[in-house]
Amino acid sequence: MSEPSVKKRGSYLAEVLANEVVCDDHGRLILDVAHFPPTAPGQFIQLMCRPPTPPEAGRAIEWRDGQTPQFTQAELLDSQPLLRRPFSIAGRREHAGGASELDIVYCVKGVGTRWLAGVNAGQSLSVLGPLGNSFVIRRDKPAAALVGGGVGIPPLLYLAEQLATAGKETVAFIGARSADRLPLRLLPNADVRTDGAPSHCAAELAAYGVETAIATDDGSLGMAGVVGEAFGKWLDGSAVSAENVVVYSCGPEAMMEAVALMSLAAGAECQLSLERYMACGMGTCQSCVCKLRDDSAQGWAYKLCCADGPVFDAAQIVWD
Amino acid sequence: MTLANPLMTASGTCGYADEYADFVDLTQLGAFVTKSITAKPRAGNNYQRVIETRAGMLNAIGLANVGLDVFLAEKVPLLAALALPVFVNVAGTTVDDYLAVADALESVDIVRGVELNISCPNVKAGGIQFGTDPEQVRLITGELRKVCRTNILIVKLSPNVTDIAAIAAAAVDAGADALSMINTFTAMAVDIDTRRPVLANGTGGLSGPAIRPIAVYMVHKVYTQVAQAAGVPIIGMGGIQHAHDAVEFLLAGATGLAVGTALFVEPGCLMDIRDGIGDYLDSHGFASVTDIIGTLEV
Ligand SMILES: Cc1cc2nc3c(=O)[nH]c(=O)nc-3n(C[C@H](O)[C@H](O)[C@H](O)COP(=O)(O)OP(=O)(O)OC[C@H]3O[C@@H](n4cnc5c(N)ncnc54)[C@H](O)[C@@H]3O)c2cc1C
Ligand SMILES: Cc1cc2nc3c(=O)[nH]c(=O)nc-3n(C[C@H](O)[C@H](O)[C@H](O)COP(=O)(O)O)c2cc1C
Ligand code: FES
Repeated sequence: MSEPSVKKRGSYLAEVLANEVVCDDHGRLILDVAHFPPTAPGQFIQLMCRPPTPPEAGRAIEWRDGQTPQFTQAELLDSQPLLRRPFSIAGRREHAGGASELDIVYCVKGVGTRWLAGVNAGQSLSVLGPLGNSFVIRRDKPAAALVGGGVGIPPLLYLAEQLATAGKETVAFIGARSADRLPLRLLPNADVRTDGAPSHCAAELAAYGVETAIATDDGSLGMAGVVGEAFGKWLDGSAVSAENVVVYSCGPEAMMEAVALMSLAAGAECQLSLERYMACGMGTCQSCVCKLRDDSAQGWAYKLCCADGPVFDAAQIVWD
Repeated sequence: MTLANPLMTASGTCGYADEYADFVDLTQLGAFVTKSITAKPRAGNNYQRVIETRAGMLNAIGLANVGLDVFLAEKVPLLAALALPVFVNVAGTTVDDYLAVADALESVDIVRGVELNISCPNVKAGGIQFGTDPEQVRLITGELRKVCRTNILIVKLSPNVTDIAAIAAAAVDAGADALSMINTFTAMAVDIDTRRPVLANGTGGLSGPAIRPIAVYMVHKVYTQVAQAAGVPIIGMGGIQHAHDAVEFLLAGATGLAVGTALFVEPGCLMDIRDGIGDYLDSHGFASVTDIIGTLEV
């Protein structure tokens, strides 16, 4: 008998193991998904931010003359979002029997993420994925720098773990609006440097031996200012030569553009994870377009963030 | 032509061929309807192209597609593997554009029909203009009729009209084999901080559950005023998510059913809907879906 082929992606029902507050506007969901396909850092899932549609909503409807049919107007039940919401995989652990634990770190922005914040352990969530491509870990480059801000931080946590497994020397630069909006836990007695130099301070990254620099817009933690500045200082002053570093970045577009320019100017490879408003996440709706260089007359063509990305080579991105 | 079951994909929500293969067994569909294909490739509109609204979404993709040549070379082989009747949605800005694509599709085995998109609200020239004037509809349908020799000709109607039955009548008069309805409603969402439309195109097309009651009404109107007497089947669509919704369309007069926006959430809903229709028929003592088409009592 042949082994059943391993599915690359699909639609799964996950059980919420935990939903913890991380900071003022972030939470972490730990999901238990049986037989979830293999994943890599940079990939994302599409989460349904409402209770999963019960299978009987579409089937086995008991219609009896003179009675009100059940489940006839499912859409009236949900003032919650219709479309799924994309979230990066922030970590993954395997357990016996094919169970996988996925971490999702979410920032409360609007209707969908507000609903996620109220989810309880034991509840079911519908997960579609894994979707998109992933960051590439280079065998010949011994060092890595992670630069993340806002909702771009979660995929870098998963990446930090895999970089540690691959034996890379990794530092991280993390930006947040303020101390109470940082989606990372500080180690007890952490010495967060105000000059933007990395130190062992963020628990989730220190777990993989990664020193972290923190910058906040209001200066309430670490360096006051934008995280790109801290990264730039490190890039200029680092003992590691740029050819040996891969820079991985995800976060606000202005931050990524600055990081890309500095990295490329210094001769470092730079991989960026872009974010776009997505309807499907599966490459069918054509909504999530990004401009990438090509050899056409206009010099660029649209690529799909969800299917061709979200990770792109910074040198290929056309900034608007 | 007979389909194994009424369920189809709605153009533009299912890619070109096997994009959903990991999520749903596409071979179980009645037919596959492709994204709009134009004579030349189209990059489409600027970003931002979609936004969710209450119980629906707006899109202004701008008919982004690979164009006829790439479609024939790269997508048709993938479609062939599905072993399903395929309807290719055809769009253009001039009548000649439409004719060129439809003519090329005549020689493709697995393509069984052309769905004429004269109702896309998101392209500047042509497109919706064709679909909102009965005379234009008559003209373009008549021209396409001449090139669709073996393929059936389905005309996809725009709901952005005062009297959709008049448009349907023009299409049927000019030789349409079937009517597909409805496309999206022209609509707008505003970013109140920037005081600009959310979509780069300004306007977009509204789809999803929000439009279903209007779609059901329009299908019923066209069925009773035009299609039933002419014996022309209707492919009903607009906000179908569950079997209940599909049954509404069947009762209102649709013979085929297409699912669009709901595929973005769960491609597998196609099978739930198909099975749910079966359950409905069983529990109500109907032998076949044809027994309930257009049986709405008003
Ligand atoms: C590949 C990818 C990975 C992501 N990973 C994470 C993650 O790990 N953690 C996390 O917290 N967030 C992540 N996001 C962003 C997240 O998907 C959005 O914040 C979320 O969809 C907002 O949903 P909502 O219903 O709460 O907000 P809504 O009510 O839908 O909108 C609130 C505001 O957020 C904006 N918005 C909504 N969706 C997006 C989007 N996709 N991109 C940009 N702006 C958007 C809206 O325009 C609006 O201004 C990711 C996005 C992408 C594309
Ligand atoms: C993102 C998107 C893209 C679409 N693209 C096309 C298209 O290329 N051609 C077309 O005829 N209709 C297109 N449509 C319209 C759908 O085929 C369908 O008529 C409409 O969305 C109503 O069905 P729904 O509510 O189930 O989505 C598109 C709809 C959406 C949401
Ligand atoms: S989100 Fe639909 S194509 Fe990318």
